[in-house]
Amino acid sequence: MKWLKNIALTGAALMALAAGPAQAAGELHLYNWGDYINPEIIDKFSREYDVKVSLDTYSTNEEMLAKIQAGATGYDLVWPSVHMADIMVQLGLVEESKINQSKGFENIDPGALRAKQDPKADFCLPYAWGPVGIFYNKTVAGQDFKSWKDLFDYAAKNPGRVTLLDDLRETLGIGLIMNGKSVNTRDPADIKLAEEFILKQKPNIAAFRYDVIPLIEGGDMAASHYYVGGVLYVNKRPNDLGFVIPEEGATMYQENVCMLKTAPNKDNAKLFMEFLLRPEIAAQNSTMLTNGVVNKAALELLPPELKNNPAINPPPEVRAKLQIFEDLGADLKVYDRAWSRIKAN
Amino acid sequence: MAEGGTISSQRRKALFVLLTPITLLLGAFFLIPLGIMVVYSFLEPGLYGGVVWSFYPYNYGRIFGWPLGGGEEFEPLYIQIILNSLYYAALTVIVTLVVCYPVAFWVSRMGPMAKNIVLFAITLPFFANLLVRIYAWLLLLRPTGAVNTALMSLGLIDQPLNMIFTEFAVIVGLVYVLTPFMFLPIYASVERLDWSLVQASQDLGATPFQTFRRVILPLTAPGIAGGCVIVFIPALGNFIVPSFLGGSKVQMTGNVIERQFLQARNWPFGSTLAMIVMASVLLLVLAYTLWMRRAANNERLAGAGHV
Repeated sequence: MKWLKNIALTGAALMALAAGPAQAAGELHLYNWGDYINPEIIDKFSREYDVKVSLDTYSTNEEMLAKIQAGATGYDLVWPSVHMADIMVQLGLVEESKINQSKGFENIDPGALRAKQDPKADFCLPYAWGPVGIFYNKTVAGQDFKSWKDLFDYAAKNPGRVTLLDDLRETLGIGLIMNGKSVNTRDPADIKLAEEFILKQKPNIAAFRYDVIPLIEGGDMAASHYYVGGVLYVNKRPNDLGFVIPEEGATMYQENVCMLKTAPNKDNAKLFMEFLLRPEIAAQNSTMLTNGVVNKAALELLPPELKNNPAINPPPEVRAKLQIFEDLGADLKVYDRAWSRIKAN
Repeated sequence: MAEGGTISSQRRKALFVLLTPITLLLGAFFLIPLGIMVVYSFLEPGLYGGVVWSFYPYNYGRIFGWPLGGGEEFEPLYIQIILNSLYYAALTVIVTLVVCYPVAFWVSRMGPMAKNIVLFAITLPFFANLLVRIYAWLLLLRPTGAVNTALMSLGLIDQPLNMIFTEFAVIVGLVYVLTPFMFLPIYASVERLDWSLVQASQDLGATPFQTFRRVILPLTAPGIAGGCVIVFIPALGNFIVPSFLGGSKVQMTGNVIERQFLQARNWPFGSTLAMIVMASVLLLVLAYTLWMRRAANNERLAGAGHV
């Protein structure tokens, strides 16, 4: 009878093999910024719905757009910044997901519906936002920073200990804010003022650089123009490090989750968007990212060090001073030239 | 004669077979992308990256500073950036040459075992990724890095020196990356140097300086020239070192090209700048080839004269 048992076992194994791929046919392909989603929530989704999820990353909006426009198929969800989401909706690359009719959408902060082409979130779901401010090492600087003025005064006294972002719009944006102009101005005279401001600071600035966390943590640099993600490190060493939204105002970013027209797994993509609407999932995600939260119910579930953090959850008067970038189309050239001049001099 | 003909046709066939793969490889991975760049440099930039397929001759004009309307003035900004790159590339060539020339003589006089070890050590960095090696320099040169810590514990300085994110760091990085390219050709020509000619010159009463200038230098010149060309070319196009070690405050043409593709969404202008860099490199290589050919001709003539 042993042979019969063997056959039965083999049969069972074969059936399991055959059933395996059938179950894994549920797939979802995400195309997101690097380090911009908590891997734990992907695992959770994968287990709950038995869907195989893949994640590719990009580092600029343009890189993602270029890839999608070049005809890359296979991705279901992408995470464009708001201005890029507008462009993609206009170019007809985004599927109307009707996410605004899903359960839990009522928790989304109406202030986060920033996309001009999609004011009611018929297409994309607001994902996360964050200010760009000053990330600093208190021990090295021997002071706290409250404003851009503090930052540049410190740099004037301690040249070579402060960095700014190597990003033409962010950094010229500081120059515009300091001159009381909109960060979306198209007026060459305004941009000229910003250029002169940054150029004046340049001798005191150590570097234009994105990768500053190890330099601030290690005490090589005292303060850096950086994203709110720095709060993650501040919460680990609150006595040494700090992050602040400068008093004069700052820029902010927001990304939305959009379903592509070419998405091969639209049902799973919609499921994932609805999954992100769950307050506990949104909170778990933001706890790792230390980003601003667009889900009011999730905000209540955040750990106190994030919920009460004025950079993650700023009061309304600070929020009012944050500006989001709009797409400038061909006028970007004026900024690019100003930026090249700053770098060349 | 007939036999000779068959052999040469066989050799031609063998040559054809041997050269076909590399020709196809270069054609597919070098000429086609190059062709795309040439075409792109004459097209209009797309609003969101990419290109619009209409003829647009202004990209080249922009490099030379011609205003394109929209409140722009004549401004040779990009010429200034290109000159700046030439300066860094030239400085790198000079420093690597000064370092490598004496070392090549020293190594050529070593025993065979020591020689192999040194040559191996010089090629060793190629086994590690370039970015990792440049990052290591960041760790060495930063204020809390190894160099500053050592100098401070020796009591030579009491404040850390600002070395990272300076022109100095850029030159250090470029020299470090490109030294092997200078060393190997110089070493090859020093190794082939006929020392009996040096002895003859000394016997005939030349001073050490005369011997160097009239005998050693001309005989090693091809190695020097070769080294200079292969150091200059990658130094000119480098963008990783200025952005990592120069803190992006130092800007070379490579950085502007990178930005045109990634931040400024102007692929045609990026392609145009790349074409200009390539044109200057081609001119340099052309000059080098002509010079080598003339030197070879002179040698042949001199050799014929002696007979």
